[in-house]
Amino acid sequence: MSRDRLELKLGFAAGGRLRLGSMILCALAAPAVLALFSTPARAVPPFARQTGLACEACHTIPPELTPFGRRFRLNAYTLTTKPPLVTDIDDHKRNTVFLTDLPGMSILLQFTYDHWNRALPDSQVAGAKAQSDTFQFPQQFSVMYAGAVSDHVGAWMQLTYLQNTGSLGIDNNEVRYADHTADNEWLWGVTLNNNPSFQDVWNTGEAYGIPYFPVQSLYIATQPLGGASLRAPIFTTFPGLAAGLGGYVWYKDSLYLELSEYHAAKAGSVIADEDSSNLNLGGGTIDDFAPYWRAAYERDWGYNSATIGTSGMYVKFVPKEYAGQTISPGNVNRYLDISIDWQYQYNGRHNIFTFLGHYTHENEENDPGLVPKYFANATDHLNQLQITGEYFHNRTVGAIISFVRATGTTDAPFNGGTGSPANQYEVFELDYLPWFNTRLLLQYDVYNVVNNNQNPFFLNGATNPKASDNNTWVVGLWMDF
Amino acid sequence: MRMLAAHCLMVAAITFSPMVLRDTRAADLVVPHDPSALNTKMLVSNACSKCHGATGISVSPIFPILAAQQIAYIQTELKLFRERGRSDPHARAFMWGIARGLTDDQIDGVAQYFSSHPPPKGAASRNPALAEKGKSIFENGIPAREIPGCTICHGPNAEGINTFPRLAGQHRDYLTVQLQQFRNQLRESEIMQPIAKTLTDDEIAAVVEYVGSK
Repeated sequence: MSRDRLELKLGFAAGGRLRLGSMILCALAAPAVLALFSTPARAVPPFARQTGLACEACHTIPPELTPFGRRFRLNAYTLTTKPPLVTDIDDHKRNTVFLTDLPGMSILLQFTYDHWNRALPDSQVAGAKAQSDTFQFPQQFSVMYAGAVSDHVGAWMQLTYLQNTGSLGIDNNEVRYADHTADNEWLWGVTLNNNPSFQDVWNTGEAYGIPYFPVQSLYIATQPLGGASLRAPIFTTFPGLAAGLGGYVWYKDSLYLELSEYHAAKAGSVIADEDSSNLNLGGGTIDDFAPYWRAAYERDWGYNSATIGTSGMYVKFVPKEYAGQTISPGNVNRYLDISIDWQYQYNGRHNIFTFLGHYTHENEENDPGLVPKYFANATDHLNQLQITGEYFHNRTVGAIISFVRATGTTDAPFNGGTGSPANQYEVFELDYLPWFNTRLLLQYDVYNVVNNNQNPFFLNGATNPKASDNNTWVVGLWMDF
Repeated sequence: MRMLAAHCLMVAAITFSPMVLRDTRAADLVVPHDPSALNTKMLVSNACSKCHGATGISVSPIFPILAAQQIAYIQTELKLFRERGRSDPHARAFMWGIARGLTDDQIDGVAQYFSSHPPPKGAASRNPALAEKGKSIFENGIPAREIPGCTICHGPNAEGINTFPRLAGQHRDYLTVQLQQFRNQLRESEIMQPIAKTLTDDEIAAVVEYVGSK
């Protein structure tokens, strides 16, 4: 999506008088909006075509992975049961060419109808009628390649069109290499991807977590009218804006260790392909390299699988100038995100139950040169808790309940509004899957706490804006073929 | 720059250190990614073991234990999967794909591999009375309904005979599902469908309790 369009809209909605801290926040939040737009990795038919396995082999309910699905991904999507169409070896019997007869292409569609709790004043046109719903057809249209590239390399490459922005852009992308010992005791791999935590094979993180269907639908739908994303840890805000290279090992189907390094997709720029004339539109970028680490321990027994893990990222973040207000070059804020996560799956013949979540603590050291003008405190904190439970019967009908709560230190210049970064919301979802690649859903998002400068009702001049104004009904359809 | 170098070293260390453990026998493969060229060990390593375990002892009851299974039975079933001659739900979901490119030699190799591993000890019964009832059905059948005993085909200790599978020590849930699917004609078998046709849930539970504990 176009960053400049987003920023311009934000600036318009705020009357161009947002404080710099708020602007930085918006800029930080903007990628999070992108994250919401970004499609979580889902079940894709190319994998089924490549392996001959039904979706249920790898997924409880797409895109949540079963233990087998996790191993398939850790093995770089290379398991195939069809002879290649073209193959060649060299004098050392090393495979040099591998081409399947069918490319692993897939199309993914999402449609939604959103109804908001309160009609949103349209501040862009004086006297315009208020809107209380929107129909997105499609909300998202993706084309992707997914599958083996060679005997040890696989790829997930996704292009996505978004109705909201009317643009086609790079979504989550990954190239992975993997190999293992013959006894499978050790597996090791390398991942090259554009979104920290996208490479994760448990569904407890941000890029790959549940609930899968876009939540905060209101913020997607109303983003052109000034709805920013809710405050979230910084490592969730780089989808498509960073490039990372990491290595991992997987020992005895139990212990997972990973270390990755992320760099801004283009040094000094928010978006890689954005020209220099847009550099003054705010945001910021990763300075130098940002390490990301992950450890997890999984134990499977019977129909059960349980995992406990931890992850983290250390980011030196360089805020940019914004709309004529300049932050001196060289100012660097340092973020340290540390998460613990857990997952329990019961993947029975008729009943599937999953309980998962994460807790993230973020420590933010603000550059002394930015305090107190842009940040009130030398150090800020943000804590985010997400707890999700889901149940599906016969992989056909099910329900998801998710609770998200963020709290942190009050910092008025940075967070704007009351200065609190707090937000809290719940997602209630009913699902019906007439076929495994078609999902109908009814979702209700309930907002308990929303900071004013993230509340489109406040930003658009609604009288007495409340968090609950954002409550949203979503009717959705997801198809993948 | 020094920091970058350190980070790169860390990534390299965690990524490549286990490579020293790499099994060089993998180099024996002619075309590693062509599934029809995989030898037995690599086939088991790349595919079978993900669900059935490296030694044929699976974790999830969705997948049967194959350790010590009859060679002829594994061969027969794999060929049925390959030809789509067995169409119960899990056969379609998993084995139609896995077996579709197997050669006869690979099938023979896999069958011998799993058959040669020792069986697990069945989990002791927590319901001896039920197991005793199951033992009676297993050994004597249900004469009143002309249901023969299982020992005729599966052996006195449920160890299997030739193309008739070993049942001893198998996951109870797996056995239950198979009997239900024979009963509901979801799994093909000219022998087992008539036998299971009139079995009640209680009778299935009893015979499974007995066989699974052996």
